[in-house]
Amino acid sequence: MSDLDDFKATYFDECTELLTELEEQFAAIEAGERTPDRLNAVFRAIHSIKGGGGAFGFSELVAFAHAYETLLDHVRDGRIELSDPVTVLCIRANDLVADFVNAAKAGTKLGAAYGADERAQFDALTSGNAAESRPTGEDDARGDDEFDIDFVPVMVNLEGAAAEEPAAAADDQFTAMPLAVEKGQWEIRFAPHSELYARANDPLLLFRELANLGELTVVAKLTEIPPLADFEPFGVYCTWELTLVSPTATAESIAEVFEFVEGNCDLSIAQLAGRSHRPSEPTLADLAQLVTLPEKTPTVDETPTLSFAELAETVKKDAPVRVAPAAATPVAAPKLVVPDPAPSMASEEIDDRRSGPEDRRGAGVQSIRVDLDKVDRVVNMVGELVITQSMLSQQMDDTLRARYQELVRGLEVLAQTTRGLQDAVMAIRAQPVKSVFSRMPRLVRELATKTGKKIKLETIGEATEIDKTVIEQLSDPLTHMIRNSADHGIEVPEKRRSLGKPEIGTIRLSAEQAGGNILITVEDDGGGINRERVLEVARDKGIVAIDVTPTDEQIDQLIFAPGFSTAEQVSDISGRGVGMDVVLSNIKKIGGSVHVKSKTGQGTRMTLRLPLTLAVLDVMLVKVGPSPYVIPLSSIVETIQCSRADFGRAPSGAKVLRVRGEYVQVVDLAERFELTGDAELANRFVVLCEAEGGIKIALIVDDIIGQQQVVIKSLEENFESIEGIAGGTILGDGNVALIVDVQGLKANNSLHKNAA
Amino acid sequence: MDSLALKDDYGNVTQVNAQNSLQLIAFSIGEQTYGVEITTVREIRAWNGATPLPNTREYVRGVINLRGTIVPIFDLRARFGEGQTSPTKNHVVVVMSVGEKWVRILVDAVSDILTVSKDDIHNVPEGNTLDTELLNGIVTHESRMVGLIDLHAVVSGAKIDP
Repeated sequence: MSDLDDFKATYFDECTELLTELEEQFAAIEAGERTPDRLNAVFRAIHSIKGGGGAFGFSELVAFAHAYETLLDHVRDGRIELSDPVTVLCIRANDLVADFVNAAKAGTKLGAAYGADERAQFDALTSGNAAESRPTGEDDARGDDEFDIDFVPVMVNLEGAAAEEPAAAADDQFTAMPLAVEKGQWEIRFAPHSELYARANDPLLLFRELANLGELTVVAKLTEIPPLADFEPFGVYCTWELTLVSPTATAESIAEVFEFVEGNCDLSIAQLAGRSHRPSEPTLADLAQLVTLPEKTPTVDETPTLSFAELAETVKKDAPVRVAPAAATPVAAPKLVVPDPAPSMASEEIDDRRSGPEDRRGAGVQSIRVDLDKVDRVVNMVGELVITQSMLSQQMDDTLRARYQELVRGLEVLAQTTRGLQDAVMAIRAQPVKSVFSRMPRLVRELATKTGKKIKLETIGEATEIDKTVIEQLSDPLTHMIRNSADHGIEVPEKRRSLGKPEIGTIRLSAEQAGGNILITVEDDGGGINRERVLEVARDKGIVAIDVTPTDEQIDQLIFAPGFSTAEQVSDISGRGVGMDVVLSNIKKIGGSVHVKSKTGQGTRMTLRLPLTLAVLDVMLVKVGPSPYVIPLSSIVETIQCSRADFGRAPSGAKVLRVRGEYVQVVDLAERFELTGDAELANRFVVLCEAEGGIKIALIVDDIIGQQQVVIKSLEENFESIEGIAGGTILGDGNVALIVDVQGLKANNSLHKNAA
Repeated sequence: MDSLALKDDYGNVTQVNAQNSLQLIAFSIGEQTYGVEITTVREIRAWNGATPLPNTREYVRGVINLRGTIVPIFDLRARFGEGQTSPTKNHVVVVMSVGEKWVRILVDAVSDILTVSKDDIHNVPEGNTLDTELLNGIVTHESRMVGLIDLHAVVSGAKIDP
């Protein structure tokens, strides 16, 4: 049973990947790349989801996927134009497929009504078309047939999939028939390798599929067959030359039949120029050859112990049925004197197309699925190794260095190797931001529809790689930022026109690496932040005191305040005032920062500065009393010597710091953490930090030791969380240093908070 | 004892014995001996300093690095309300697992491994709430009184809520 569960787990993993691919393909299709390649990729993805779903008996999923697939099929062969509404429907369908997959994963049913609307739309689109171009009854029957097949739970293995797929492909082709106008004649050379048989493929089945495409003539090349004495039971001696006369077949549809034996055979497909074709020639001898051909290799391979005569017997029984279309060719022949209508379909193209899936398969072999926990374990251990290594290096003083030169050299190599190892491990966790970016085009499209604005999304730097955990945390903030840009930033088309801007607003989403950080920018060319309105609302809500006049920059930062919204009414897009607050807190959580820059009338740019990885944090090491503490570098604005700092006293007796005309709350860490330090006030330092919402807080520490990278360790693992402490870390000397939680300190001292 | 358990003849006897007996690690704080079940003890080390934790009770001596994880140290003397230990290199830290968590307990010395019968465990006399809270029972071993530590109770409530 657990085997089946394993298969299921793999299937769901694959579904996730396929759904992501669907997103990507549609993003490109939407951007105007409506190439057959993309449609084929979409079709393949849905087909794979459907196929696997059928094997596990997920009937709801299969039913929906099937309907969707039918639509895609129509789109693919051009019977339905891939217009914008169809694209939107498809994208909606992708979501539904995802819902069905999730439901299947959770073992729940969504009910027959779920997705019924979309299915009705598929049916309307597909049947509308079918009615025009073909007798409907037959089509329906066929569709149902295939349907039933998919419902039967079958244990799918490689061979099974291979056998099933060409059938489906041929079926697709069948539905494509009525459209084509010209008849074509194709010459196919097929030389299987032994792997083809080893994978339990059978040329007979392939030919049968080909015969479905049109009139097929098969000629077996038997010249290679050695005398019986030299006959290798598993040798491959037989090749075939096939001639296909079909009004509808394209190089692609033919190649599709062979899709599952790609790489296991030599295949050439060529369209014969418009000369009169051979099918009129077949003689009885040819037919006889046809009849005998399948016995050669497949059967010999499978049951080499049978005698030749016996084989011939078994094969001949059903052979006449199989070659019926070919036998019928003489009758059809006279109609076929048509010059090649599409010489452009060169065989190179076929090769291109075929290399696609093969590449994918190649990549599949070279990657493995690993539980993220296992990777994390490696990351943690490498973190330890880095610490141990730096500890060892610190232990080396000059005397030791002089005395143990070999040891020193060894340590240097160790340091290098460790660093390399760390990079390599981090690279395992790194993923291109594309996985998040690819979700955004759809969001923008939805927003554009809802707001009635015209918006296009540009993405730059999709290949930039970031730690997986960071990527996971990135989706929500980006969604909110783009929503914000679309809803508040970009103006309605009329207004844009009157302002002399292009009617279509642009949101630019970009990612780049800058030193140890990743910068993610969301930029729009809208109206910019309406500072007067923001300030007015902020005063109404009591976020800013009436008598305070904040700078433009401070006003811009106000949009991150919790509950802040300038929207007059709450819409389903925005207005609840949660969005930007979420952005800031999510980004802070992963050790990043947010910066807003806005120019009235020209647009807004929001920049997220993110750490490359979460496992390692850049910190400033300080001393409070006798203990080491670290403060995340991302939250530090500046450091000031206490003797040069301008302290004042608030009426409550609390210390405040004046820095560039701003009054900032002061927290003496030694006092706060009840540690006694012997440092003179003048020798101590102020570390000016910025907490959430751009609110600053000044921490007084006894000494600043320096900057370094640390590995974050949780306190909760063996103890519990403590106010003002975000966690711990282990320093090079093996001692524990605590990480100051700037946000927590600010919250705790909110009693004597001064107006920002 | 363990070797006997392998012999069939004594099989029954020793099994009863195994079910009924308890192995303890005994350690001392001042004159008093305490014990914890040996299966909870992971290792025993010498005191080597700790990073103090703010906002915690006085019996939390801080945290230290145990092969890459951060583990708190509890001062058992302080936990019993007898004031903080002034630790030296001769003081001993017992590493134990409490449920899923690892903790360290600072004691004066580890004295012995005791095998006691479960029948010899007496209830803690009512009266002192600190005793009944922190001890699971009292055993007599060679006319010494050994308090059985309730580890869960010792490590709980360590945080000062603001």
